[in-house]
Amino acid sequence: MSELIKPQNLVLSTEQLAMLMPYLIVAAGAMLTLLAGVIRGSSDPEANRRKRNLAAVLVGIATVTAGLLYTAKIWGEPGAVLFNGMLAADYYTGLMNAVFLAATGLVMLSSYSYLEKERIHHAEYYSLALFSCLGMMLMASALDLIVLFVALEMMSLGVYVMVGFRRADVRSNEAAVKYFILGSAVSAIFLYGVALLYGATGSMNIAQLATSLKSDPTGNPLLALGAVLVTVGFLFKIASVPFHMWMPDVYEGAPTSVTNFMTTGLKAAAFAAFLRVFIGLNSGGQGGGGTEGGLDASLHDVLWVVALVTMFIGNVIALTQKNIKRMLAYSSIAHSGYILVGLISGGKSEYGYSSVILYLIAYVVMNLGAFAIVAHLSERGDRRCDVEDYAGLGYRHPWLSFAMAVFMFSMAGVPPTVGFAGKYLIFSSAVQAGEIWLAVLGVLCSAIGAYYYLRVIVFMYMREPARAIAAKFAPAAALVVLVATAGTLQFGVFPSMLIHAAKKAAMNI
Amino acid sequence: MSGQDIFFYVFSALAVAFSLLVVLGKNPIYSALSLVMVFFCVAANFVLLQAQFIATIQVLVYAGAIMVLFIFVIMLLNADAQSADLGKRRPFQAIAAVLCVALFALFAWSVKNGTTSPERAGFTPEKVASLGGNTQVLSELMFSDYILPFELTSLLLLVGIAGSVAIAKRKLEGARAESPKEGQA
Repeated sequence: MSELIKPQNLVLSTEQLAMLMPYLIVAAGAMLTLLAGVIRGSSDPEANRRKRNLAAVLVGIATVTAGLLYTAKIWGEPGAVLFNGMLAADYYTGLMNAVFLAATGLVMLSSYSYLEKERIHHAEYYSLALFSCLGMMLMASALDLIVLFVALEMMSLGVYVMVGFRRADVRSNEAAVKYFILGSAVSAIFLYGVALLYGATGSMNIAQLATSLKSDPTGNPLLALGAVLVTVGFLFKIASVPFHMWMPDVYEGAPTSVTNFMTTGLKAAAFAAFLRVFIGLNSGGQGGGGTEGGLDASLHDVLWVVALVTMFIGNVIALTQKNIKRMLAYSSIAHSGYILVGLISGGKSEYGYSSVILYLIAYVVMNLGAFAIVAHLSERGDRRCDVEDYAGLGYRHPWLSFAMAVFMFSMAGVPPTVGFAGKYLIFSSAVQAGEIWLAVLGVLCSAIGAYYYLRVIVFMYMREPARAIAAKFAPAAALVVLVATAGTLQFGVFPSMLIHAAKKAAMNI
Repeated sequence: MSGQDIFFYVFSALAVAFSLLVVLGKNPIYSALSLVMVFFCVAANFVLLQAQFIATIQVLVYAGAIMVLFIFVIMLLNADAQSADLGKRRPFQAIAAVLCVALFALFAWSVKNGTTSPERAGFTPEKVASLGGNTQVLSELMFSDYILPFELTSLLLLVGIAGSVAIAKRKLEGARAESPKEGQA
């Protein structure tokens, strides 16, 4: 054996294997789900199809459950760094993995009846969702930019296909092609940035990059250019202005359950990875406290402008939207802006970056529920998705409308919902960090946002129904809505547990 | 200017020229063939960097296997010159061109004024040669230090295959009710 092969890189200890188990479970589950797509048994193709889809969704749910249980099992164990410093298994990873797994599981549950209705139900859907989930988990735990890139691609590739799942629909095709081409272009930009960083520092490891950044106060243009390109890649994935153009079309054209997956899982993963890289480059991977002279200082002004414009444009354009999917897409852009505010002020405030993590979780919980309801109420081909179609919903579906109202209040940031807790922490951190103007303008933007969220509620409760919405009861989707509502209220009334976990995770990065 | 420099500039200029042909050419077959030439020029630059193995792989896999597939697809889809015509020029294209030039200037400036630092592990050509040459060092690194991204890439390929089958399979069972008419609503 040559001196290059280090034995410690080839052997996994039992503890290390335990840390890896959630990833292995999801990878194995995704492949098993793929196998579920070839089940045969009877001569009736329709019965075969049912059997396959049921098997796929069951394997998928079982995988996610097993992953969650295992994540809970290793919860709070001391972190480890695996594979030659490329993968972190720490508290932050655990928390984010739990979020991704739960989001994927709930999306799969709410997809079942939706895909049946749309007649685009294929077993591959669940497999791609699981692969994408694996990509998300790896993104949040990557300590090396090359792993981050491969994970990013794994996450995106599955979703490109899922966006185009309604193959006979032009809008779905358009959304898939747009997302794929723009996403690939941005992947290339990201990769180019990584290459420049490697050229400038000789390493792709985040901690080593941070050391190079610190030891080079004069500023190496090559390093700066690489960092900018990598940042552009992240800003695209979180759909912040000016890289938001793709998002409304993709969100509207994609099947609603896929939109749900994108708005919760993908966005959370992009932010989770961004946060890890951001904090890592600021502080050299130790603790959550910001330091002078890191990436924070150089990127501050850029991110400040991006955050403000993102909040403003997202909210203002959302005002004019009639289609509820499109409205939620623009609102999602605005939420990215709020989270960026947390990212900017995280280094200098008491709660640190925990406001970002808390808001991400809040965002995932409320969007999961809202999109599950939209998917449930839509008619075949995603028709009846306009706000006007929700007129009088309060009389016909009182429980569903109540849940929708809770999600809308939460997105608007009204107490006692988790959206309020998240916004409060973000903006109070901004004030603590001395970003008074950003906080003031952010709250103003958020007030604009309240208008279109409340409009949905007004339509549901104060308008006469124009047409009857016929939605059959679907137990799985109802369960998702129930879980999301409970989460929104539970974390809204008692956010301290979540804040504590978020704080611990942020300190752990 | 040494001989190596001259070769570098020649191959790089050729690569840039052929890349422009890929983008600007109206006929997809010409674009594909220009891309083959780009790969060859890049491979030549890899040789100049003493990365012979990568150069070989570049030619075999990219210029060979992948481009053959590209050309097959172009011929099977019967993509003619018209389909690649983007129509008349629009004003924003001029703005885009200006921005691209500005961006290029920024890149050029950064690369000119930037400093590179050597690889952390210190793989100089001499060290690589002493460790058994390019191929051996590459494969050993791939299966030790870089085992995680390597294995993840294989999973990524699996996702790609599963995804392309899901989207391209001619008839998915259960898609019986799909017809273009219904879908357009």
